[in-house]
Amino acid sequence: MSIIITDLSKIYGEETIFEDFNLVFEKHKITGILGPSGAGKTTLLNLCSGLDQPDCGTIEGINFQSISYIFQEPRLLPWRTVRENLRFVLNQNAIKKPGPHEADIDAMLELVGLTSVGDYYPQELSGGMRQRVSIARAFLYPSELLLMDEPFSSLDCSLKNRLIEDFSKIWEQDKRTVIFVSHNEDEVRRLADVILTFSDKPIRILKKEYLGDNSKKL
Amino acid sequence: MKISTFLENKQDKPLKKLIGKMGVALFWVLLWALAARWVDSPLVLPSPLKTLEGVIVLAGDFEFFVSIGVTLLRVFGGVFISVLLGLVLGLAGGLNKPFYEIMNPFVSTIKSLPVVSVIILINLWIASGLVPLVVTFLICFPVTWTNVVQGVRATDKKLLEMAKIYNVEQTRIIRDIYVPSIKPYAVSALMNAIGLGWKVTVTAEVLANALPSIGMNLYYSKIYLETDLLFSWTLVIVICSLVIEKITLHVIGNSRKGDGQCPLS
Repeated sequence: MSIIITDLSKIYGEETIFEDFNLVFEKHKITGILGPSGAGKTTLLNLCSGLDQPDCGTIEGINFQSISYIFQEPRLLPWRTVRENLRFVLNQNAIKKPGPHEADIDAMLELVGLTSVGDYYPQELSGGMRQRVSIARAFLYPSELLLMDEPFSSLDCSLKNRLIEDFSKIWEQDKRTVIFVSHNEDEVRRLADVILTFSDKPIRILKKEYLGDNSKKL
Repeated sequence: MKISTFLENKQDKPLKKLIGKMGVALFWVLLWALAARWVDSPLVLPSPLKTLEGVIVLAGDFEFFVSIGVTLLRVFGGVFISVLLGLVLGLAGGLNKPFYEIMNPFVSTIKSLPVVSVIILINLWIASGLVPLVVTFLICFPVTWTNVVQGVRATDKKLLEMAKIYNVEQTRIIRDIYVPSIKPYAVSALMNAIGLGWKVTVTAEVLANALPSIGMNLYYSKIYLETDLLFSWTLVIVICSLVIEKITLHVIGNSRKGDGQCPLS
C-alpha cells in the first residue's frame, strides 16, 4: 500500500507549513524531496514518523511500528559500541551479549564495511563511519518505510559518494519505501526514482519528476 | 633517547604531583605549629604534634573504633537511602511532570529548612541514635533528587526520538539512555551527599546526644576542656572524610570502566 497524505495542515506559531497538502508516496520506491532550507521538509518526515502530529488531515498507509530513520546526524548511543547500538534497536534485552540477531548484525556490518570496528565506540569512529552505522541500523530494523533527512549533508564529497554507493547496494537487496529529503539535487538524482520539488512555506509541490533506472548517476 | 626521556617524564608526573601536594600540606601544618607556639596555650590551640598524640591515645581504646564505626554507619545509611530514593524518585520526577509538581514543594521546603531546626524537630519524634541518620537523609535527599531531575531533563532529546522511532521499549530507554545520561549528575550528587552527610551526621550526633558517636566525643572534649582531643577527633573526621571520598571516586571510576564507558570519553 502506498502512503497517502490527504488535506494535511500543520502550523507552528504564526507559520503555516502545510495547508490542505496532498501527496502519494509510491511503495518500494525512493522518493527524493528537494526544496529550500527551512521550508518544512523535515516536518513532513516528522509527521510521517509520528514524531509530530498533523493539525488537520490524514496520513494513511504507515505502520508506525515499522519505520526506520536515517537522521542528519547519526544519533548513536555514545556509551555503547557499534554492535550494541545495533542490538539496541532490535529490542535485545542483554545488549552486551550476542543475541538471536547476531548473524544479521554481522552480515550488515560486512555490507557497510564496518566488520573490524564492531566493538568500537562511536567516538572512536570517523563521521562517515558513524553515518554508515546509522544506515546499517536503519536497514537492520525490520521496517517498511525508511525516512532519510539529509543523511549525507555533513560529509565531504568522496565520503558522500561512497555512502551513496553503499546505500544503493543495500537498497537493491532490500527495496523498502524510502522518503529522502535533501537540498542537494545531485544526491537526490543519484538515488531517487521520483523527485518532488517543494516550494517555500506553505509547502506546495512545484514539480514531480520520474527518473528511470538509467537516469540514476551511480 | 627521546622516547625514554618522554616515558621517564610521564612516570615522574604522579611523583611530582604527590611531592607538590605533600609540600602544600607541610606548609599548612608548619603554619599551624607556628601559630600554636605563638599562642602558647594547648587549651586554646594545641600543636599538630599534640593533636597527633591525641589520635594515637584515642586509638588505644576500643571505643574509639566503635564510635567511628557507628558514625560511619549513620553517614552511609543516610547517604545510601537518600541516593537510592533520590535516583528512583528523581527519575520519576524527571519523566513525569505531575509527579515532579507533587514532589517539588516538599523538596524545596526541606532545602530551605535550617539544619539545626530539622535536627531538633526530628529529635522530638524519634530515638536519639536514629536522628543523625534521618537528618542526613533529609538533608542529602534534595541534593540527589534535584541533580537526578536535572540529569533526566538534560538527556539528549535526539536519542530519545531515535528510540521512539525504532519502537524501543520504555524500560530499555530508561536503562540505555536515561541512566547513562544521569550518571554524571548522580555521581556529583553522591559526592556532595557524602561531604554533606559527614557534617550533618556529626552535628546531629552532638545535638541529639546520640551514643556512641564521634559527635558526642567531640562534645565531651569540649565540655571537659580537652582541646587537644577536640582537635584529634576533628582530625579523625577529616581523615575519614578524605579516605571515603577517595574510595568512592575509585569505585565510581572502576564501575565506569566496566560499564561500557568509551575510553576516549
